[in-house]
Amino acid sequence: TSEWACESCPFDQGYRAEIDVGATNVSDDAARFGNYTGYDEKGTYADVNGQGRYANEGYRVDWYVEDLGLDSRVVEIETGKQGVFGFNVGYRDLPYRRFDTTSTVFNPTSGDTLTLPGSWVPASTTGGMTQLSSSLQQRMIGTDRQIVDIGGNWQPDDAFRLFADFRRQTRDGVDITSAGSYTQAAFLPRWIDYETDQIDAGVQYRSDSMSVTLAYYGSFFTNQNPSLTWETPFLTAPGGTSLRTAREPDNDFSQVSLSGKYHLAAGNTVIAILAASGRGEQNADFLPYTINPDVVTSALPRSSLDAKVDTFNYAFTVTSRPLDKLRVKFAYRYDERDNKAPISDWERVIVDAINSRETEQNVPYSYDRLHTIVSGEYTLSRKWRLAAGYERKEMNRDYQEVAEQITDLGWGQVRWQPAAWLDIRAKGGASQRGIDRYNDTIAVSLGQNPLMRKYNLAYRYREFGEVVAAVSPLELPVSFSVSALFADDDYKESLVGLNGAEEFRATVDISWAVSESASVYLVFGQDRIDAHQTGSEQFGFWDWSAFHEDDFDHTGVGMTWRPRDSRFDMSFDYNRGTGKTRIALDSLSGGPSTLPTLESTLDSAHVEASYEFSDRLHGTFHLRYERFDLKDWALVSETTLPTVLTLGAQPYDYDVYAMGIGIRYRFGDGTISLVE
Amino acid sequence: QTADDEAELPDYSRKGADTCFQCHDDQVVLAIFRTKHAMPQDPDSPFGHGQLQCEACHGPAGDHAGRVRRGNERPPIPAFGSMSKTSVAGQNAYCTACHAPDTGFAWHGSSHDDDTISCADCHTMHVERDPVLAISTQADVCFDCHQQQRTQAMKPYAHPVRQGKMACTSCHSPHGDTPERLLAGNSVNGTCYDCHAELRGPYLWEHAPATEDCSNCHNPHGSTQPGMLTMRAPMLCQSCHSQVGHPSLPQDARGLADNMPSELLLGQSCLNCHDQVHGSNHPSGSKLMR
Repeated sequence: TSEWACESCPFDQGYRAEIDVGATNVSDDAARFGNYTGYDEKGTYADVNGQGRYANEGYRVDWYVEDLGLDSRVVEIETGKQGVFGFNVGYRDLPYRRFDTTSTVFNPTSGDTLTLPGSWVPASTTGGMTQLSSSLQQRMIGTDRQIVDIGGNWQPDDAFRLFADFRRQTRDGVDITSAGSYTQAAFLPRWIDYETDQIDAGVQYRSDSMSVTLAYYGSFFTNQNPSLTWETPFLTAPGGTSLRTAREPDNDFSQVSLSGKYHLAAGNTVIAILAASGRGEQNADFLPYTINPDVVTSALPRSSLDAKVDTFNYAFTVTSRPLDKLRVKFAYRYDERDNKAPISDWERVIVDAINSRETEQNVPYSYDRLHTIVSGEYTLSRKWRLAAGYERKEMNRDYQEVAEQITDLGWGQVRWQPAAWLDIRAKGGASQRGIDRYNDTIAVSLGQNPLMRKYNLAYRYREFGEVVAAVSPLELPVSFSVSALFADDDYKESLVGLNGAEEFRATVDISWAVSESASVYLVFGQDRIDAHQTGSEQFGFWDWSAFHEDDFDHTGVGMTWRPRDSRFDMSFDYNRGTGKTRIALDSLSGGPSTLPTLESTLDSAHVEASYEFSDRLHGTFHLRYERFDLKDWALVSETTLPTVLTLGAQPYDYDVYAMGIGIRYRFGDGTISLVE
Repeated sequence: QTADDEAELPDYSRKGADTCFQCHDDQVVLAIFRTKHAMPQDPDSPFGHGQLQCEACHGPAGDHAGRVRRGNERPPIPAFGSMSKTSVAGQNAYCTACHAPDTGFAWHGSSHDDDTISCADCHTMHVERDPVLAISTQADVCFDCHQQQRTQAMKPYAHPVRQGKMACTSCHSPHGDTPERLLAGNSVNGTCYDCHAELRGPYLWEHAPATEDCSNCHNPHGSTQPGMLTMRAPMLCQSCHSQVGHPSLPQDARGLADNMPSELLLGQSCLNCHDQVHGSNHPSGSKLMR
């Protein structure tokens, strides 16, 4: 074999590229249709997509562009010499379009200050705001995320590989926040200006039997608008016409990790270790207790938190196949978050209006988690395989109602493959999350009903089962698969709080290769989540309950048609998603009551087609259609709530077409031919 | 590769790829020359000097390419052919023979390995741009098996996976590693903070369940509730908060817009005032209102 030369091999050389250029017309304005796609406004958009490569003697430059004419554009360039070094640069835009039906009375005088119109007359309720309708200005809610990525790697020899990657993510635009002004609240358009720099760098040693990686990860977040000051539209306490809230503080996080894997020939065993130590820091300057000059406060105990959070992650895993028919795994993992933020006494000025005169201490939550896994699988025969496992999770927390929580999980699985065309897998198990005790003293100190059991802390018993079957007859062009999952959570020691939840999921997939040139598929998915909770309006035993039914169905059909000898090809996809949430309550004060069903219906269709004018030139066509209808009683007008001035976001209800035509031109060789 | 598989291996072909191309010369096969596997200047590439070319991945083709007695069927290529009889583990062994140091060791015993997933179930070798390695097309590959997650991705509030602007590997490491649930980060929150670094804190006033596990309140695969919440507010908040007064009151149809509109039910519900649910750094922000 060492003499093999491959004289006919057409190795990649030279330059080639494929570029799509065209235009797409969008039929209507719809923020949600443009969410993540960039097609949020009616009009015509330029379509520019493409990819290309230059290759020469082992050196390559690859480039790729996607949606250049949209706010969802992507640019990627990769170059290097394979096996020696590589370098990549990328740019990616991601538009987040939330609402285009929102209006506000607030004007931004800077990124962190909102003012009311000069003619504004405060009132105690939204209905009394005489200048409201004349002051409302439309304000689209949406942000843009930009990601710049620069990375490289170098392999000085077969054993070592050095790598480094730098990413800068920026996010700017307008989002919604809300803030209270004592007994009232206002929705505010909030200007976002985030920047996060991230670094991944390290060195890896590799051999035939092991790999060891020493790596550094750093994340450095900066918020250009760490506070938001606004004028309240409501009548308020003297001096309290302007209020200020804190926004996300700058933070840093650095982590060093050492990971390694060693392959032992004995028993075909891999031993993996991980040790990581990180530190997060946050030391942003505090805002004053209040900006209301009429409220008297003490001096802040600190000018900044100077908080440090240490994280530790250790893992040890052994996976082995001591026999051809036996696989076993043992894994031990420890994670810790140690919050070392200093504890101080703080006053609380309620929404820049009233000093509560209460002293509170900040609570630096810390926890550690220990996760142990033992599992094994045995191949009984060519048809039958059995697997089972046991897991234990131990959670220890500071300052919370439950200090120690232990979850034991056992599961078993049977897999039956009676023939190459049939594969059935059934898995089931149960877990019990026990607690040392629910500390009523802590709960009561937080003002909680002593019968409340927070669902992430409470005792829970869970049963689950899953069946997956795949049928792929060799002699038929049809494949078929179904899956079903059931999980039942029972919080039987919770008298107040979440009592139970059930989830059922099912899917059906059918695909059919109708001919060599055509294929069709049909998929169906269903997700049902039911939950039951109780509460107590009289602060005792439960006197109200709520039942939630959360249903979602998805149906998808599609086809592709690519005749071998035709110049024409096309594909079609249609998806429908319908969601329904029903919430029924029964309370002491209100009796039985059902909230209107929350509904969403999505119809989405996508057609793509191309026609080959010549080897190099194709004509392209695409059509997207989307209809979305949302019924949500929570979205209300600016004046619906007397004490909350909203932005008046309307439930989504749109149907939009985006239709585009273009050409695809290929430079360089398209057909690959063997060397003569 | 198992011992049984090795025992059955035939000889290599006479002239390597030149032998293969005498029959297999269509564009699908030849597309391998647009990939990293066919780089003669890289000594570790299957087409590097002294390497086994097509047979590096497909196995020794001596029998398959040799003379066949009239009436007999041509023996299948050992690996990755439509008639191949090599087990999934055996086929994966061809891949991990080269890729073990960077992915193979982690693959060993991972949940995908335990489920006998073949590398070729996800990766397409004979294309210039492997769909599973491209953000815009990756999810469709994953959803072939993870059909329940496909349903969730279609829910009205979800990450931009359906739109092809986010990949499953943004959060998951499919080749397996020591973290649970094949997460790309060291924990759930560590993974989320990669894109949502503004929520890392630590804050002066923390919200304990948020610092511990984002999935206590959010379903990252998709939800019917805004913000990918696991349940509609205020009921989600009332699963933990029962303080005397407004946190304990049932929010039913009495509070709807056409009745007595309640600021505890409509708009953003509890978040109308307690907007800083991920934590507050305001000295007066202990109630997560500022």
